[in-house]
Amino acid sequence: MASVAIRDVRKSFGATAVIHGVDVAIRDGEFVVLVGPSGCGKSTLLRMIAGLENITSGEISIGNRVVNNLPPKERDIAMVFQNYALYPHMTVGANMGFSLKLRGAPKEEIDSGVQRAADILGLGPYLDRFPRQLSGGQRQRVAMGRAIVRDPQVFLFDEPLSNLDAKLRVAMRTEIKELHQRLKTTTVYVTHDQIEAMTMADKIVVMHDGIVEQIGTPLDLYDKPANQFVAGFIGSPSMNFLKGKVKANGSIGFEGPNGVKLPLKAAPANSDGRPAVYGIRPEHFTIADDGAEAEIVVVEPTGSETQVFARIGGEEIVAVFRERHQFKPGDKVRLKPDPTLVHLFDEATGKRLND
Amino acid sequence: MSSTLALPESGAAVQARSARLTPWQAWGLILIVPYMLIFLLFVVYPVGYGFWIARHPHSYVQLVEDPIFVRSAINTLMFLVVGINIKMMIALMLSGFFVQARGWIKWLSVIFILPWAVPSIPTILSVRFMLNPEWGLVNSLIFRLTGEDGPNWLNDPTIALSMAIAVHIWKSLPFWTLILIAGRLAIPADLYESASVDGATNMQKFRYVTWPSLRTLYLTSTILSMIWTLGDFNSVYLLTGGGPADMTHVLATLGIRYLRLDQVDMSMAAIVCALPFVLPLVYFMMKRLAK
Repeated sequence: MASVAIRDVRKSFGATAVIHGVDVAIRDGEFVVLVGPSGCGKSTLLRMIAGLENITSGEISIGNRVVNNLPPKERDIAMVFQNYALYPHMTVGANMGFSLKLRGAPKEEIDSGVQRAADILGLGPYLDRFPRQLSGGQRQRVAMGRAIVRDPQVFLFDEPLSNLDAKLRVAMRTEIKELHQRLKTTTVYVTHDQIEAMTMADKIVVMHDGIVEQIGTPLDLYDKPANQFVAGFIGSPSMNFLKGKVKANGSIGFEGPNGVKLPLKAAPANSDGRPAVYGIRPEHFTIADDGAEAEIVVVEPTGSETQVFARIGGEEIVAVFRERHQFKPGDKVRLKPDPTLVHLFDEATGKRLND
Repeated sequence: MSSTLALPESGAAVQARSARLTPWQAWGLILIVPYMLIFLLFVVYPVGYGFWIARHPHSYVQLVEDPIFVRSAINTLMFLVVGINIKMMIALMLSGFFVQARGWIKWLSVIFILPWAVPSIPTILSVRFMLNPEWGLVNSLIFRLTGEDGPNWLNDPTIALSMAIAVHIWKSLPFWTLILIAGRLAIPADLYESASVDGATNMQKFRYVTWPSLRTLYLTSTILSMIWTLGDFNSVYLLTGGGPADMTHVLATLGIRYLRLDQVDMSMAAIVCALPFVLPLVYFMMKRLAK
């Protein structure tokens, strides 16, 4: 096990810069998830940690060793690929023992290593099969087994669950997290799925367009997103954003689209009349007489909760209720954002304005 | 299961059908007739006629007693066993070079394809001129650089046959390299990345990733190339013409030689003698493809 430090790392392909100076410190044993939309540079960053991609500038160290110029095999890492990358002509057992075999380990050591990993992942009965004879979930498990056998300093996962169906993805999510709790190996995990990030990570790194938008624990990011991008990316359904002006003199509040009044607990200093974006999560609305008037557009019950699409001041928002309200499209209701859970963002830069 | 399903098709049903075709079946017949005619006219008839010409056992006795035939059979075997295998090994190595995604390699590959793309007759004849011992380009260069006379390229049976094999390799190498490049490109890149992480050297990547994935294609290509090469008339006929002293004939050119000597039955018999080479290869190949 080891810590990983990424210091001012940049990456360009020719003249195109894809990563613009990224700093991430990963503690020993931590489960860190790199998350962001497609093309944000998260996979490239992971591949740079693995040594599959050159580092244009900056420094990556694993343990206390700068690994910039080390080939992958000398970095003491194991990687699980999106398409599993199992060797099609080798049995499951041979796939898992391959790295030990290349290292010249004696046969007994390879066998015991493979057996140990197979026990952990329940792959015992499949060791003599070929990858093509396995289901997607089993292949995924073999790919993890291959990583475990090596007993590396760091596990790297590159969107490992994206080829699985929804149900299996949830199951494997739990399995990977359990595995981490058991082995306590430092893990860097790349995904575009914010729910995967939220459920698995000790620490999330949100990336966007080659920069780090925010680093924090899942609940940090949910409760205090540093900017509008993170606020919109983390949480499902996404946070609602309403443009308007801060009212700081007299009764504090927010003037939303078409003059709709929205509550605010406190206004940032010197912000009266400042154009801003009012952010409120769908789950932070209540029905109250002093709420803003809203017209119901669509109601989507999911059983455990109901998603209500409505218009406030002409803008469409979504609210989520645990209670079963009997709304119909066209109904007028009063929706009140919880003022203690409101997020204010600068209209131009998207930076968070309130505490 | 299949027998119970087939039952209603037999007996009365078949009789009814043979009496009157459904439009679907009628169209099927109409559409297949042109192909059947072409097949009969251009495949069954000439092959049958060839066998008929070569039907006399004494043609074969005469053939086997002809030292040129024995020499040709050995030459053909050399062509197949040595020539094709050298060619495929070079193609395997070159395909590894050409799959590298660098700009200049892409351009180089375009030039590399040329020998395959240009017509045989002018190119092989120009090689023949280049190898002329007195005024050919190669020996002129050797003389200018060393002051010595170069080898008598096409007048020494061993060198001449080697040159014919070399021309064959030069001409068809691009094609097989292309096939193997396609095979290599079908190997997922993440297998190599995974092997890198697992600690494989380049040789180990070839051994454990590339070769297992290419093996089937490589063997199939080798067999196919052998089948095609048995009929490779150009490389030998245009370069050496079977000479010197009919020592470099292969079975494909031998047939033409007998034809020119007005021994049609011998010509056909020579070609029939190639069948023991071809048929096992075709059989093996079909079995592989059927897998």
